[in-house]
Amino acid sequence: MADEKNNQIDEQVKKVVIANLQGLSPDLRMHIGSAGEFSREELIDNVEKETDVGNKIVEIQLNFLRSLKEGIFYGKNIADNEA
Amino acid sequence: MEKTLLTTRPKHDSTVRYLFYWSKEIIKLAEEKGIKVWNLEGERANRKEVESIIKKRKPSLIFLNGHGNDGAVAGHNDEILVEAGDNGDILNSKIVYALSCKSGKELGPESIKKGATAYIGYDDDFIFIADPNKVADPLSDETAGLFLEASNQVMKSLLKGHTAKDCHNKSREIFARNAAKVAYGNSKDYLLSTYLLWDAEHQVCLGNQNATL
Repeated sequence: MADEKNNQIDEQVKKVVIANLQGLSPDLRMHIGSAGEFSREELIDNVEKETDVGNKIVEIQLNFLRSLKEGIFYGKNIADNEA
Repeated sequence: MEKTLLTTRPKHDSTVRYLFYWSKEIIKLAEEKGIKVWNLEGERANRKEVESIIKKRKPSLIFLNGHGNDGAVAGHNDEILVEAGDNGDILNSKIVYALSCKSGKELGPESIKKGATAYIGYDDDFIFIADPNKVADPLSDETAGLFLEASNQVMKSLLKGHTAKDCHNKSREIFARNAAKVAYGNSKDYLLSTYLLWDAEHQVCLGNQNATL
């Protein structure tokens, strides 16, 4: 039962991440280290297929939301928060 | 002691090519300040030349551009230049800025244990977003500039004599400022802020926080 619920949450998270990625200009490309460069559609495809790149994108967006909650943003206190 | 800079600048793929172009201004600034620069670009960004220059010329500051992983930073054609557990000790007595993925996780801490003065790098992937229409002239790419300008601030501040900690903080402030600019501006690409803040959060400064060039 718990696994089923977690899977449902994961699916919802994926949908949110993909919806966010839709906001990225189709003209831009994301460079992710040695993994290469990716268009918006390629990023979405990677998230859907749960590849390493896709999982990294999900991790980054969740990290962003957590950081928003903690207020570590927009030059106000980021320099005071050690990575 | 004479101030000297060693920089590695491969350009064998589109990602490192951006770093290659955006690091030009750092070389220019160093030379304007009378700092001797050992510029290993393109094919010269190889392990043999890096080790040779470090051994013979003893640069005080090292600026690595290239792909990386937890324990290493690479050069031309992804040849490993410096690796934890192998030749990480060549960074002994150096201030290092590694613009590469993840090397702040293992290589950075190990190099500090082995005597590096300070190591600024990233403990996860360094991500940037670019406009493919500007690939012929990466310096005109304002989107990539949001990321690479912030990164360059580490080196600019080091060359101006600021402490490692101040350089790290100033760079992170610029990542955050640029994130605010795209988040609050009219840009449709507000999502860029997510990745600017990711880079800021994962930039680390290890070793002597008060180290200066």
